[in-house]
Amino acid sequence: MPLLDHRIVVVTGKGGVGKTTVCAALGMLAVRRGLRAVITETSGAQAIPGLFGKQSLGYQPLELIPGLDTLSITPLEAIEDYVVQQIKVRRLYELVFRNRVMSPFVDAVPGLHDAVQLGKVWDCAVQARDAAGKPRWDLVIVDAPATGHGLTMLDSPRSMMELTRSGPMYRGNEKVEAVLGDPAQTRIVLVCLPEEMPVAETLDLNERLGERRRQLSLCVLNEMHPTPPAEPATWRSARPALAQAGNSGLQPALALVDAWQERHLQQRELHQRLAQGLQLPIASLPFLYRRDLAPGDLSRLASAMGESEGLR
Amino acid sequence: MSAPHRATRVVICCGSGGVGKTTASAALALKWSLQGMKVAVLTIDPARRLADSLSIGEIGNSAVSVPIERLDPSCSGRLDAMMLDAKATFDELVRRFAPTDRAASRILGNRYYQFASTRLGGSHEYMAMERLYELWHSGEYDVVVLDTPPTRHALDFLRAPDRMASLMDEGVLRWLVMPASRSGWRALELGSEAVSSVLKKVMGEGTVAEIAEFFEVFRDLWDGFRARSLEVQALLRQQDTVFLLISSPAPSAREDAIYFLERLAELQLPFGGFVVNRTVAEPLPLPELPTRPGELALSDAQWQACLDSIVSATGQRRALSLDHERSIGALRAAGPAGAPCWRVPEQERDLHDLQGLAGIGSDLPELSQLRPS
Repeated sequence: MPLLDHRIVVVTGKGGVGKTTVCAALGMLAVRRGLRAVITETSGAQAIPGLFGKQSLGYQPLELIPGLDTLSITPLEAIEDYVVQQIKVRRLYELVFRNRVMSPFVDAVPGLHDAVQLGKVWDCAVQARDAAGKPRWDLVIVDAPATGHGLTMLDSPRSMMELTRSGPMYRGNEKVEAVLGDPAQTRIVLVCLPEEMPVAETLDLNERLGERRRQLSLCVLNEMHPTPPAEPATWRSARPALAQAGNSGLQPALALVDAWQERHLQQRELHQRLAQGLQLPIASLPFLYRRDLAPGDLSRLASAMGESEGLR
Repeated sequence: MSAPHRATRVVICCGSGGVGKTTASAALALKWSLQGMKVAVLTIDPARRLADSLSIGEIGNSAVSVPIERLDPSCSGRLDAMMLDAKATFDELVRRFAPTDRAASRILGNRYYQFASTRLGGSHEYMAMERLYELWHSGEYDVVVLDTPPTRHALDFLRAPDRMASLMDEGVLRWLVMPASRSGWRALELGSEAVSSVLKKVMGEGTVAEIAEFFEVFRDLWDGFRARSLEVQALLRQQDTVFLLISSPAPSAREDAIYFLERLAELQLPFGGFVVNRTVAEPLPLPELPTRPGELALSDAQWQACLDSIVSATGQRRALSLDHERSIGALRAAGPAGAPCWRVPEQERDLHDLQGLAGIGSDLPELSQLRPS
């Protein structure tokens, strides 16, 4: 089944590899395919709206473009949601939970933060309804925390089940796990950069995923530099003549092309290592030579993503 | 706070994930040890990267000596590296503060404790502070470098001592373990039974009982923990401590660094400057392109491809260095006026050996340059 036909797509990877950008591009692609999607950020992150030139509304859904919304989950708001659903009386929640005493307690329950945030993701995917009473979103894209914490978060419903063993919180997490742990409903996308360390860590993460590997769909290799116009062999044969013919101002420019050639070979090798190690389709996204994305960049990245195996 | 018998500097490296924080911490520690200082570097990054960059294989809670003599056989300094084992540190602390061995085993055996000590959000951060304190207090080092987890976590880490203290001070624990009349919940005009029944409804009766049991036992340790917590807070604010913000030109890293800066100011923690990794140098002007030599065994198209490569490569460099300048400008504008900023140029290869780490040492600050601004 194509990636975007699932209910939930969780995007994770090492810090700084571009998870948020990948989420935004996936969201755009989903809209092009006629889906209604929502990107959920976690732990209060609010980086998505800015990519679309908008201001975050925090926990309230914000429309980025028609068909694509976003919201930022915080543990405390998710807990409030959960507790109010359980006790049905908001006033009681405010009396009991919303005070300086409750917050340290909530902090102290292991895994609760992560579990309730996934609970909100589940809520968006399973329970949220539009005005007509139909499911509000076809697809939930989760901008998950970086590797280590991302894994802890994915495991949190099970941790909570283990801790509570029975009761309402056990049952709540069981429902969440039934969707988020099911390869038919929830898929995981890894994001990586074409560099030694991130590739090694992605392969390591793949090992640590254990049986969750069944949920892996795709690895996005972000910031791939373009192929140099000159073939490596051509560049090698022209190099001595260029070094001799040119003025001294040419030398640093030649060194730049040398580095580009070398980087290109290294990228190809890393791409291969990743594809073999993960046994997954790899989607390559081009490096745009700017970090602050310009209007139109996201659309370009969405198109590049759409070309990839598993997303066509 | 009882001071160690040696004046030990503390350097805490903060920043978001993927900016090269672990590498920068290791390179700083290596640089100073090669200058003859005794240095400890502690990482709490769950990914085991520091060991790689220090080429010492697995590291753990106990100090591992980094073979810096390979770089300089006559070096009088020392570099110890360690990775935080949060669980072991927590256990150790429980043993130390428990009034009796029996109390210690009751806690160590409690199911809730076993969950909390490994999975409690912030337990890594709190235990890192604890280890930092121990290293500082041992008096064995001239400087201790701490590599912190990525930003959102790192905020927890700054809050860790406060949070632990408030957890111990605030009513909820008392309410869980003490009779209602002493709990102070009356101010809410809500019987503690009502609170209890809400919690049980939400979490399940068994869970609440187990947590209550844990805090009942843990109560004996509170005083020890609280005292330590206050000492750690004092350590973070002492004049020999400095926080470095590690960043990169990526907008997300920059935004996180700015956010972090605000938090440091708010918490009144001493800020020592920026280290910006992976910057590119000055833009290159497009050089005059050479004419094709007659005797070259390349087609015109191939020669043109080579010239195109040169034009594109200088264009890419120009775009990137403009982008980076803008980014660093925004970062510095957010910091205190005159805050120092060290730039570490983008490396062609990943740094994963001592030689490579030592290579960026000259781009990094001297210890004497690190003063709170």
